[in-house]
Amino acid sequence: MRPTGIIFFPAFDWAISPTHPEREERLLYTRDQIFEEGLLDLPGIKEFSPRLATFLDVARVHFCVPHVRDQVRDAHLIAAGACLVLADCIMSGEVRNAFALVRPPGHHAMRVVHGNRGFCNINNEAITIEYLRRRYGVGRIAVVDSDVHHGDGTQDIFYHDPDVLCISFHQDGRTLYPGTGFTNELGGPGAYLRTINIPLPPGTTDAGLHYVLDNLVLPILRDFEPELIINSAGQDNHYSDPLANMCVTARGYADLTAKLQPHLAVLEGGYAIESALPYVNMAILLALAGYDYSHVREPGYRPGMLRESPEVAAQVRRVVEELRELWENRHRVDPEAIFGKDRFYERQKFVYYDTDDIREFQLERVRRCPDCPGYLTVVSSARHPGGRHYQICGVSIPVRACEECYGEGYATFEAARRTGDYTHVYLQDKATDVFRAYDTETKELLDWEG
Amino acid sequence: MEIGIDVGGTFTDAVLLEDGYVRAVAKVPTGEDPLEPMLAALDTVLAGVPSERVGRVVLSTTLITNLIAHRKYDPVALVLIPGPGLPFDHYHINSATYIVSGAMDYRGREIEPLNEDEVRAAARDIAARGYRQVAVVGKFSPRNAAHELRAAAILKETVPELHVELGHLVTGQLNFPRRIITAFLTCATRQRYATFARAVAEGLRRRGLTARAFVLKADGGTLPLEAAARYPVETVFSGPAASTLGVQALLPPGETAVVLDAGGTTTDLALILSGTPLVASRGLKVDDQFTQVRGLAVKSVPVGGDSVLERIGRELVVYSDRVDRPYCLGGSRPTPTDALRVLGHTEIGDPGRAYEAMALLASGSQSPEEVAGEVLLMVTEIIAGEIEAMFREWQEEPAYRVWEVLQRRTRKRPHLLVGVGGAAALAPLVAQHLGARALVPPYAAVANAIGAAVARTTLMISLHVDTARGRYVVAEEGYQGELEDPRHFGEHSAVQLATAWLRKRAAALGAGDEVDGVEILRQDVFNIVREWRTVGRLFDLVVQTPRGILTHVKGVSS
Repeated sequence: MRPTGIIFFPAFDWAISPTHPEREERLLYTRDQIFEEGLLDLPGIKEFSPRLATFLDVARVHFCVPHVRDQVRDAHLIAAGACLVLADCIMSGEVRNAFALVRPPGHHAMRVVHGNRGFCNINNEAITIEYLRRRYGVGRIAVVDSDVHHGDGTQDIFYHDPDVLCISFHQDGRTLYPGTGFTNELGGPGAYLRTINIPLPPGTTDAGLHYVLDNLVLPILRDFEPELIINSAGQDNHYSDPLANMCVTARGYADLTAKLQPHLAVLEGGYAIESALPYVNMAILLALAGYDYSHVREPGYRPGMLRESPEVAAQVRRVVEELRELWENRHRVDPEAIFGKDRFYERQKFVYYDTDDIREFQLERVRRCPDCPGYLTVVSSARHPGGRHYQICGVSIPVRACEECYGEGYATFEAARRTGDYTHVYLQDKATDVFRAYDTETKELLDWEG
Repeated sequence: MEIGIDVGGTFTDAVLLEDGYVRAVAKVPTGEDPLEPMLAALDTVLAGVPSERVGRVVLSTTLITNLIAHRKYDPVALVLIPGPGLPFDHYHINSATYIVSGAMDYRGREIEPLNEDEVRAAARDIAARGYRQVAVVGKFSPRNAAHELRAAAILKETVPELHVELGHLVTGQLNFPRRIITAFLTCATRQRYATFARAVAEGLRRRGLTARAFVLKADGGTLPLEAAARYPVETVFSGPAASTLGVQALLPPGETAVVLDAGGTTTDLALILSGTPLVASRGLKVDDQFTQVRGLAVKSVPVGGDSVLERIGRELVVYSDRVDRPYCLGGSRPTPTDALRVLGHTEIGDPGRAYEAMALLASGSQSPEEVAGEVLLMVTEIIAGEIEAMFREWQEEPAYRVWEVLQRRTRKRPHLLVGVGGAAALAPLVAQHLGARALVPPYAAVANAIGAAVARTTLMISLHVDTARGRYVVAEEGYQGELEDPRHFGEHSAVQLATAWLRKRAAALGAGDEVDGVEILRQDVFNIVREWRTVGRLFDLVVQTPRGILTHVKGVSS
């Protein structure tokens, strides 16, 4: 049988700040555990080495303000590049699945990037997805986010994309960062029910998690029939995580992995660096490679010590029920009843960057096109920590844009350049892999082509 | 004066060096006995030399490699303390294995106490089954060896005549399965090694040699001959290390090159980067099992000058497992050496027989020269392909830090290929294929013995300090101590502590005077942060005696 690929990139020389949870030490004990167990010597596991993702790989997903080079450090490019190396290995058939055990994480990074939010600058999964579509022409992809926090970045990037299904289960946004991910966030008019959010009450255990998996996530995946499944494998649902309140075990995570059978698992959060990460990471890796993980046990864990209260169990069932009904009736939905009949669908957003203390205001506008997912325009303004205020406009043309959307997208970009209303104007043409960044002040036009 | 002796599979080579000049060389066939050819080669290079002028004899031997390959070692029982993790069947190697309860974590904290009754029961059973050798290995024992030590004490109490080997003393690096294998092999070969070392020492004494005797390890360093009885497995694969060091000595300092050591049955490839041989990023594979033995990054290609060739249909086939003397030297099968002879790349053997050998392989109306060309192209392509693979592996070594990934991108492939060994004549052909420059230096046929002669003692210490717990561990010495002042223990103190232990270790092994400096191999510092507060630091240091050779060979400037 083909092996499971792994890239272990603990970035032992990179941190947000010395005492920040996202620091050098985070994967240290995981390294000790993986090395001591000799996992990288197992015949079913093959270690690969990361490369640096390119600015083009980043520009294919993000409007980095003002430029990619200002938002991205080498560590980010390596974490994203590790995912791309593994994507190549999966597509070539060299491995049957893979685990990017890397930091820094990415699932809170949205389409527009003004800074770091939720410990993330660029979205590793989204960069991988756009790369897979560009390089290999992959069609339908599902992302299952098992981090305790809502995968709001990934959701934002694919909110209008009917070919990418984003499922995130997480601790209820009323009790945890980033405060979103409710059941009514279901995708834009062109991608309705391609976003599924499953908020779970604090105290959800392995039992609750697997109820969600068996009764909602797996049935939806069966219906959607993705060509590839990517797991945003955050590990902060663990009962010992210091930043959240869930009760999942290493075993629970491994069982999830075994059921989900993702092609690529990408580490996201998880900050119980001693009591959870060494064991959860090991269990996930063993589950991916098809080894027996039943002897992996956190020190201090005793069977039966984590019991789900009846109230929590009932709440989990209610959420599953609600979403299941929506999913089963998905073909009967009338988008006009929900989104109206306008030629464009608009939504306003306020985005807070907790790490960098940036407040961003956004207006997103997507063309409701009968022939393609529609081109999208985003206008965003924010004051950066240096004091400079940015007002940008980004135009994104989808991979399978129709001729009209393609033309209108370019025209919108050119028009935005001329207005003088924006400090920077960006073009993201995913159809022909062309990306531009225009600085109104210096009149400099950066141009990348794939 | 220094003497280097390399006992290889086919030949035993020896050289005598004086002030960097090669004064004598010897080449004798290797037989069944590991001692005899070694002494014969020694006598040859010693002829006419006052024995008291020889200060140093370094021996590279295939003794342990062969013992392991042919499983001619002592039976060993294993007592393992794995705790939670992989299922236990991953650890059953072909030997009596006793699993006992107990567990440590990565910071050396006890998760589960050692079950002493289980150890006692194992001891009784081991004695009943007649084992004399036991290896005790616990998961995370390099971080806390208390369970291994306690289990050993119980085993000795119960069965006093047992020899007990402890995992953490065999290797200080993390990797439980590799530690098991390494401890097992150490335990299995130590007595035979000790017997051999005594015989060598006796042989030297009878020749009136007062020289200090060393044995060569896979990483190209030496250990005092008798002290190495604690680490016999480290002497495996010292042959390729000897050749690589030999090339290093034959090149000007600081040179970067690929080493191609073409022998009778295999061609060993290695890299010298800015004057230093590349060490493998992981422990060596011995007898198809992963060990924690540090070695040079050597790639062995199963093709050599004596590999048997055959024509099957239109295909030319080279056998990696079938070996005969070259046809031109009286063998019965055609070999690459015959092809080299026909095209004038070597002068050995009978040219008439070489032509005959090529004629045997001819397809259709091919001339012997055409056959020889075809043979050499095939062999060259195989070796060149492996060199490419070796470059790729080097460029894609695991990297766990940003700077390592960035630095790796600057790695440039060497443009010099140095051929040594019996079939060194292949080197120019391979170099041409790779677009590199070739060099077959003087003394190429005994580069291995030169390498042994110039090798220096290498010792290593792994220090792990946990200031939050106020403790430190010197893995190789099995020492676990308390820090005097954990609050003020910094990076400088860590380096000092490691250096002191390295010197202590050298002295204990009788090589105190060989340590004239310290090289830091790894130096990691991590803040231990809990609740946004730094509560301590972890230091991971690996220090070693400087790598390098005693001298470069003089009078061979290229």
